[in-house]
Amino acid sequence: MTSDTRVILICSGKGGVGKTTLTANLGISLARKGSQTAVLDADFGLRNLDLLLGLENRIVYTAQEVLEETCRLDQALVKHKQEPNLSLLPAGNPRMLDWLKPEDMKKIVEMLSKQFDYVLIDCPAGVEDGFRNAVAASKEAIIVTNPEVSAVRDADRVIGLLNTNGIKPVQLVLNRVRPKMMESQEMLSIEDVTDILALPLLGLVLEDEQVIVSTNRGEPLTLIGSQSPAARCYSNIAGRLQGEDIPLIDPSKEGDGLRDKFRRLMQTKIF
Amino acid sequence: MNSKYQSDKIIFPKSLTSNWRRHLKDYILNIRNIDIELDCGDWELTCKDFTYLKNLCTQRNIEILSVKSSQSKTIISASAIGLNSFFNLKSNNNIGKNLNPRNITVNDKKEDHILFHQGTIRAGERLESKNDIFIFGDVNPGAIVSAGGNVMIWGRLLGIAHAGKNGNDSAKITAMQLKPVQLRISNKVARGPKENPEEGFAEEARIEEGLIVIKPART
Repeated sequence: MTSDTRVILICSGKGGVGKTTLTANLGISLARKGSQTAVLDADFGLRNLDLLLGLENRIVYTAQEVLEETCRLDQALVKHKQEPNLSLLPAGNPRMLDWLKPEDMKKIVEMLSKQFDYVLIDCPAGVEDGFRNAVAASKEAIIVTNPEVSAVRDADRVIGLLNTNGIKPVQLVLNRVRPKMMESQEMLSIEDVTDILALPLLGLVLEDEQVIVSTNRGEPLTLIGSQSPAARCYSNIAGRLQGEDIPLIDPSKEGDGLRDKFRRLMQTKIF
Repeated sequence: MNSKYQSDKIIFPKSLTSNWRRHLKDYILNIRNIDIELDCGDWELTCKDFTYLKNLCTQRNIEILSVKSSQSKTIISASAIGLNSFFNLKSNNNIGKNLNPRNITVNDKKEDHILFHQGTIRAGERLESKNDIFIFGDVNPGAIVSAGGNVMIWGRLLGIAHAGKNGNDSAKITAMQLKPVQLRISNKVARGPKENPEEGFAEEARIEEGLIVIKPART
């Protein structure tokens, strides 16, 4: 299984565009579809993938202990209760930042590759050491960006670095798309972004308040089977990643249907 | 009927006088159901030519896999209608000649020093050369290209370009779409234009009376 494992780096350059949220939701979606999936938090300094997955209180050992050989890999892996196909490998102690080298990261990923179909690496923001460590271990990458000039610029920079590191394929996820603002041209359009970045578009994720709610609860949207726009986008992305042929959503038509309107009405009453 | 089991290569006639249209039509009408590679040699073909060829091929259920050429114009036209196209780098001297006809007589050696780059230059990247730079791809915002001679871009210039960095006032910056953050020629600096340039026309920037001006490129 080692060679078949897809080690996917999820990175963006800029912070706060939705790397961790995408990692968590993609992890759950892939696991739902039956793939053995591991999510690895490479953001050692400011880790919060465990928070998003609601696994913070179950962490005992971390990747650091595994490398020091004070525990076994399966002791450190935290299995998600509701989605047993998904495991989290916690990042390690934030106070010991300098212990990790690219070789260590490679070693961890190699160990994970033996038992998982997918290894998703949540990359830290920036292009410094943390990023370099994460890149060293990955085979392919997903770039997350928002339709904002600064996020696109940083993504462009990161794509350049990934290319020089020989990572292929690199795909694009455009996060926090607001159809109305795109229509009125207050926001960069999808074409603007793909034009500059020149990458295949893996998917769009619509702006959705439910994402914030789910983040705070530690239950990724895809886990609770939500039918909110973002949740559908995430599971579509997971499907495409597995080679399914799912058409991209058309943001201009989103939210017009009777079902969407009804759903919105329901949500406003509940929350 | 749809099974394509063969692929073939079509090479354009060498001689400039022969009629390639008839030559190719005869050839294409004799084959069907296969994939072909087009080697255009140093022919300069327009979008119209390629549309003609494509239609001809579609009728015979032939797919054009790729287009090879040593002429940048041909490459651009081919990619404009969605064909895979590649530079034939063996005879790449022609590209320099074609783009900048005034330069060949001055110094023949110069052509050997054109720096070719294929692909997008992304934010934070920097491309430098003492001589001319030819980029087949886009220069994204945040990227810097600086050349001792001219900068030629078959793509969009959205970043910063510096031509004639060692004080060559006659250097030019040419791009299919010129919308840079900043333009520098020799020791002059100019901000990029605010409005979008007209699409489909190459533009060039050069120094006129001490100022950097942008004009439609002369071909």
